Amino acid sequence: MINDMIAIISDHWLLLLIGQYPNGPLGGLANTLILSALSIALAFPVSILFALARLSKWRMLRWPVTALVYITRGVPLLMLILWSYFLVPLLTGADVPSFVTMLTTLVVYQGAFLSEVVRGGIVALGHGQMEAAKALGHSYLGAMRFIILPQALYNMIPSIISTFVSTIKDTTLGYVINVPDLTFAANQVNNQLLTQPFQVFLILAIVYYAICWSLTQVANIIERRITRRRAGETRGPAVPAEPRPIALEQP
Amino acid sequence: MTQSATSPELLPAIRLSNVCKSYGDHPVLKNIDAQVARGEVVVICGPSGSGKSTLIRTINRLEEISSGSITFDGQNIHAPMPTKALNLLRSRIGFVFQNFNLFPHLSVVDNVSMSPVRVKGVAPDVAYDKALRLLDRVGLADKAKAYPAQLSGGQQQRVAIARALAMEPPVMLFDEPTSALDPEMVGEVLAVMKSLAAEGMTMLCVTHEMGFARDVADRIWFIDAGEIIETAPPETFFNNPRHPRAQRFLADLRH
Repeated sequence: MINDMIAIISDHWLLLLIGQYPNGPLGGLANTLILSALSIALAFPVSILFALARLSKWRMLRWPVTALVYITRGVPLLMLILWSYFLVPLLTGADVPSFVTMLTTLVVYQGAFLSEVVRGGIVALGHGQMEAAKALGHSYLGAMRFIILPQALYNMIPSIISTFVSTIKDTTLGYVINVPDLTFAANQVNNQLLTQPFQVFLILAIVYYAICWSLTQVANIIERRITRRRAGETRGPAVPAEPRPIALEQP
Repeated sequence: MTQSATSPELLPAIRLSNVCKSYGDHPVLKNIDAQVARGEVVVICGPSGSGKSTLIRTINRLEEISSGSITFDGQNIHAPMPTKALNLLRSRIGFVFQNFNLFPHLSVVDNVSMSPVRVKGVAPDVAYDKALRLLDRVGLADKAKAYPAQLSGGQQQRVAIARALAMEPPVMLFDEPTSALDPEMVGEVLAVMKSLAAEGMTMLCVTHEMGFARDVADRIWFIDAGEIIETAPPETFFNNPRHPRAQRFLADLRH
């Protein structure tokens, strides 16, 4: 079977890697990576804005974003994708490329999930840090940027990374609206071969696993580096002065 | 001698007029009228739950008040104002918390130098040098590169004092600065506060350290059930308290 898989890869590697490109749109693994990277890069700042809006004292900001987050979290992603795919062109008359539809939907969906993680990290810090910042004359946004968020985001690294990983996995759903990604390419290969679905989709699984595993590893390295830096040069393990607030972990 | 009565040098540093605060029906501060002169050290004491901490937190508006006014340098801190103006006022009032509230993600020297850079726009290298000098002053020059989690409680509180001093505030407020410390660390923090007082810093301090109050305070405010019921110099307060509630408080302390 391993031989079959090697044969599939050597015959179809270009399709799996870049899709029909340059004769058609960019697809395959390249497109999956681009879609994942863009989704994560956009969802992360969006999630911070959502979290700040949900913690805002202004109702005009808090209520709509809270509603958006509740609705988004309560609806399956696939349904959201189909909605934006069929409804947006119907309402606006614009011909939106499926890649853009997929990207926007993923950013809103994962941004909503991630905003709850970020918000949890901020709330778990307690009032003391914000009060200390205010007493020193920091503005609210200045305190958020230099004092609250660096701590909240650091404490939430594991949950943030697991959301990033699920973002990568969710790009596969682009298949249903014909985003030419890796899953789409694998399905094309399978349709050509017809007899080896197990081998084709095992390759697919291995590739996704490798991408997500690498991301987790990178995150672990970053986390360890920050922890080591904060432990400083003095010998012995650092003893936290106050018990660290328990992070609201995502399962 | 020729200065008019309204010149800023003669105004009290802090003046509280008719300050009231209540949570719903429950009053926590009742008609507080008091003032702190420039260079004066005032110790606020009283039984727990009497409103001491609430009172000191209203002075930099960490707590809102229901009515009355608190002026600092002639400006009413509780007047409606743009947040920028409030932040500026706060940056000129040093505040030391019971739980230190150091920023755990920053090294000690960054804790001290960050706010001058971010709030006042001081050049980073200038702020850094100043932070080192302040750390030296509180006896922690060798801990500049350490992180707060590596310090003892007493050391953390001394860093917190240096952090507040870095903003060069004309007034320092202390909210039970030694209450969260192990007994053997209280002395080092009080020593720093004593040296500050000796240099003429205007200080307002909520504390249970009666020895400190006796040695350092110019005046004691005794507060009970949200009211200042006695203000007196320490000798008078400790030897001849007038109010029966203050007499009972001091008697309880001796046991």
